[in-house]
Amino acid sequence: MVTLMSRVIEATGLVKKFGRTRALDGLDLSVKEGEVHGFLGPNGAGKSTTIRVLLGMLRANGGTATVFGSDPWRDAVGIHRNVAYVPGDVSLWPNLSGGETIDYLTRLRGGADPALRARLLKDFELDPKKRGRSYSKGNRQKVALVAAFARPARLYILDEPTSGLDPVMESVFRREIERVRNDGATVLLSSHILSEVEQLCDRVTIVRAGKAVETGALDELRHLTRTSFRVTTTATLAQVSKVAGVHDARMEAEHLAFDVDTDSLEPVLAALTQAGVTSLTVSPPSLEELFLRHYGDQFDAEPAA
Amino acid sequence: MTTIRIFLQQARRDRLTLPIWIVGTVLLLAVAGASVGQEYGDTAGRTSILTVALATPALLALRGIPHGASLGSAVHFQSFAFLAVTIGLMNIFLATRHGRADEEKGRRELVLAAPVSRLAAPVATLLLGLIANGIFVVLAIGGYLSAGVSLSGAVVSAVALGITGLAFLGLSMLAGELAETSRGANTIGVILVLGAYALRGAGDALGRPDVVKLTLQPAWPSWVSPIGWGQQTLAFTENRWWPVGLVAALAVVAVGVALRVHSRRELGASLLPERSGRAAALPTLRSPVGLAWRQQWPSLIAWAGGSALLGLVLGSFVAAFSKANIDSPQIQAVLQSLGHTDASDMGKTLITAVMVMVGAVAAAAGVQAVLRMRDEEVDGRLETVLASPRSRVGWLLSYTAVAAASVLIVLVATGVASAAGFAAVGQQSNAWLAMGSALVQAPAALSFVAATALFVGLLPRLAVTLGWAVFGILIGFGLFGGLLNLPKGWDKVSPIANVPALPTDDWVPTIVLGAIAVVATALGAMAMRRRDMST
Repeated sequence: MVTLMSRVIEATGLVKKFGRTRALDGLDLSVKEGEVHGFLGPNGAGKSTTIRVLLGMLRANGGTATVFGSDPWRDAVGIHRNVAYVPGDVSLWPNLSGGETIDYLTRLRGGADPALRARLLKDFELDPKKRGRSYSKGNRQKVALVAAFARPARLYILDEPTSGLDPVMESVFRREIERVRNDGATVLLSSHILSEVEQLCDRVTIVRAGKAVETGALDELRHLTRTSFRVTTTATLAQVSKVAGVHDARMEAEHLAFDVDTDSLEPVLAALTQAGVTSLTVSPPSLEELFLRHYGDQFDAEPAA
Repeated sequence: MTTIRIFLQQARRDRLTLPIWIVGTVLLLAVAGASVGQEYGDTAGRTSILTVALATPALLALRGIPHGASLGSAVHFQSFAFLAVTIGLMNIFLATRHGRADEEKGRRELVLAAPVSRLAAPVATLLLGLIANGIFVVLAIGGYLSAGVSLSGAVVSAVALGITGLAFLGLSMLAGELAETSRGANTIGVILVLGAYALRGAGDALGRPDVVKLTLQPAWPSWVSPIGWGQQTLAFTENRWWPVGLVAALAVVAVGVALRVHSRRELGASLLPERSGRAAALPTLRSPVGLAWRQQWPSLIAWAGGSALLGLVLGSFVAAFSKANIDSPQIQAVLQSLGHTDASDMGKTLITAVMVMVGAVAAAAGVQAVLRMRDEEVDGRLETVLASPRSRVGWLLSYTAVAAASVLIVLVATGVASAAGFAAVGQQSNAWLAMGSALVQAPAALSFVAATALFVGLLPRLAVTLGWAVFGILIGFGLFGGLLNLPKGWDKVSPIANVPALPTDDWVPTIVLGAIAVVATALGAMAMRRRDMST
């Protein structure tokens, strides 16, 4: 059993109402010490609202949340001593330079490590002398990232931190995540970019309409979805379609293509072997598919699946 | 055709802004005209006040050059320079809004990607400016006529104002070619307008007055200012057109150069690149107080500087008043009402009345500083700050403290400047009175700061509206309540009506105001602790 203290973030049944809309509708989230936790969902699912509740900026209408074992609303200041945060929409002070902003934000937490600050500026290719109003979206995000990483923290809360970065900068960002993970820090990374989460995260929570719809290690989540097959076989389309657990069977040129529920792999393989197979490609379920199942039409069409 | 389309889009964007500027300026003109007609309705009254004006360089610097005692000429003297500043600012912001600001925000790029010539947008803005200033001229003629002055003079003065507006439109277009940011372009433009006003102020103050003919020959600085040229039309008496030609020539040259530069300049390029900032922050920028101060001090210099300038000239005002021996019971009554005092000494009454207004300026500086909090919260920067180990209560108190310091700095600067002004004209006792009268405004001004802080904590979404509305209503009530024939005591709902006229033995209202300020701030902090972030 895991004790409560090894959970850096523990939220159960969070409810947050804005007027009539329920931005959070009984959301659960549990983040273990030392893990990089992906927080995945489309825009408007409640990711940023959850983060603001966890930072003590919004007060939940129901449910409980703890960060480092404390109530974020009551003990925001104490918790924040160990937190670095990058907001989803970075707004800078228009007349402060990037360097001044980085210094101000890190000093609020106790001051930057000068060597680290200098290296991050170099790696992120950020000119610290430009003023806040003249940075592009990507550069504003870099300012916030440098401010977050330039002083070590126990918990990094990053709200869609790479949405304005180019691929080169994304890889710099991934390197920093690896670094703080190796230092034993915990990361909560909200995103709607699946490949990023797939590459970086140990565990994932998927949110939709204010609720956590799946949570677990990526491997576990993949069991919930289907494996894609492309086969050259003597079996006919009709025969394969009949096997339980096969979906979307279709002919693609010479090949027969279909998706299989993970629990039904064995009977499908047995049926194929019986019919004879000359070529076979099997692709593991991608997070994209996982995502589509929750947000695509499929999800709505098969609510009991 | 595309130019017309762009023009229509620009006009649509300005469908509220420009009418407000134009109607507001015309109202200012009509009110000035009406009040001159009312207060100095006869030639004798105008002659006495113009005689005082000609003997008071500070007054000439603020107003302009008198030219005889006719009503129209007196209105022109009272209002032309102010109106030129207002209409100049309207044109400065107009040119930047559709020029450098569009370029900076990337909107111009979208437009230029369509089959549109590079000059289409500035030409459209020029068209918009011509029409806006044209409408202003027509309405301003009406404004003059409502004061009962001659049509020919009204036409000269109004056209001079409109052409001055166009000159500043051209200069602002040029500023938009020079500066990299819209803020920079606006800054250059505002400096040009205020510089033109200040230059003619200096020239008029140093000019040679003729007390018999009631005229003034301004010194050379007035001749390098387009507003100074406009005054030289001597509307309502000489009705000269050639100075209007000078202003028009400036407008044509400025617009021409701006369009020429624009046709050769790359999108986003500028002749004056923006200065880069510091690579690292100063050691003082380490807390919300440090940041609030860093944000506040540039505007604080403007608040305190302007107010101190008023304090500095107060001495020469009071000296001129006592020399001119004006013994008008009406003026005395107005001053007593403004200053909430029964003092019979005209000079002391004037000091008290002016310092009540200085208190209002200090309060405005404080309210503006407190409301920076809402900018921080709405723009999302507060979120980043509160994600650090800083409490929201501490944050609110930091901004309130900087706002309170702003109030005190404005009052102290004005008090010291006015004391210096009185010392310069040899009125030692009034120097101390002026200093004390400035400082005694503090609790009333601070109560506005505290009320606004309470709004930020309690009703964040309404805080900006409430802060300024409460300020405007209570200051208006406090300043003019006594003139509105309200039942006695009603004006006391305004904090500034409770400021004692010095010397006084009754310190209770002052102490109560101070206590109210402390309690309101504390309540604001408590409310801030309990509420959600609110954008």
